[in-house]
Amino acid sequence: MQRVIQLWLLWRRPPTAGVPGKNIGLRRATSGVSPPGSTSPRALNIFDRDLKRKQKNWAARQPETMKFDYLKDEVGSRIADRVYDIARDFPLALNVGCGRGYIAQHLNKETVGKFFQADIAEHALKNTLETEIPTVSVLADEEFLPFRENTFDLVVSSLSLHWVNDLPRALEQIHYVLKPDGVFIGAMFGGDTLYELRCSLQLAETEREGGFSPHVSPFTAVNDLGHLLGRAGFNTLTVDTDEIQVNYPGMFELMEDLQGMGESNCAWNRKALLHRDTMLAAAAVYGEMYRNEDGSVPATYQIYYMIGWKYHDSQARPAQRGSATVSFGELGKVNNLISQEKKSK
Amino acid sequence: MSGNGVVWGRVRSRLRAFPENLAACGREAAAYGRCVQASTAPGGHLRKDLCAQEFEALRSCFAAAAKKTLKGGC
Repeated sequence: MQRVIQLWLLWRRPPTAGVPGKNIGLRRATSGVSPPGSTSPRALNIFDRDLKRKQKNWAARQPETMKFDYLKDEVGSRIADRVYDIARDFPLALNVGCGRGYIAQHLNKETVGKFFQADIAEHALKNTLETEIPTVSVLADEEFLPFRENTFDLVVSSLSLHWVNDLPRALEQIHYVLKPDGVFIGAMFGGDTLYELRCSLQLAETEREGGFSPHVSPFTAVNDLGHLLGRAGFNTLTVDTDEIQVNYPGMFELMEDLQGMGESNCAWNRKALLHRDTMLAAAAVYGEMYRNEDGSVPATYQIYYMIGWKYHDSQARPAQRGSATVSFGELGKVNNLISQEKKSK
Repeated sequence: MSGNGVVWGRVRSRLRAFPENLAACGREAAAYGRCVQASTAPGGHLRKDLCAQEFEALRSCFAAAAKKTLKGGC
């Protein structure tokens, strides 16, 4: 039943959203066991995690999964670059929301000794990509990591935290399982991702149906990322952004690829039905508004890369107030100051 | 859920023909897109059925293309 509707309407599922009574009941069911550690005061329930697991399993069981791997592969290799940039090796590492393990294939045995791959979809874990590092696959939700405190030297997460309900909690969990002086390197989709698709669907739905509902999930803003990481307890934060633009023949191919990646909508407030008139209208608007010269349409993926460290005594700390030996006013003569110091040494 | 995936296959193949049929109606799609885009300019107001005419043209072209592919395919 679900499958048939899913196919015709691409992103839609039988209605569950918008009815407060149903939502409350479901919320109670999903958060049955109260986990240890802090919970956010307003625990959010935006995404249907069960459905996301089903979607990821479905995507992993497709006959040609490699066809849809390009984006996650690329971001995985960029995260591996960042791991190499850190002049250290990591005996024990964890990949949260690994999918088919796009990061491990770019790393080598010397940098990472042993890799734990955690994901909610068992079929994705069964088809992990080849890597020379010994790996252990763990079926775990990003918000409920089953590891002890101070276990890992490195935690990576590539493009999976945007489906997490309670992001502060997930980051706190990651901070918890990290050893002191351990590092977390993550990549998340940013606010500008798929803005062309969002706008086209919005305009088409307004014109065809008189109103619109959200079809692209809400992404984190870059300022919020800094706050979230700080609140979770990370030090020495770095956040940088990257934009990947992929060209598609049209909107339908884009939506098909998103579904093949396992990135279909699973928000509770999603509309159950997407009329084919609206789809047609949206495809026409997308083509007209955003088309490239060669007739293809672009889709933007904005990625935020974040690096956070767990506190350790050996890490550099801000200097004590009043311990300055030179004043900012002498910045113009910095060359003289440096040569003076060298002479005195 | 579906037993042997018959309905799935049928619906999927129909959906797969969408881009092809849309490509056959480039002119009408562009006209509709331009109409909607014009309403996003300052001073424009997008409301229901603002571009209904262009959309009807697009829809009939699309249906004709779909009929052709269906006849040709089967």
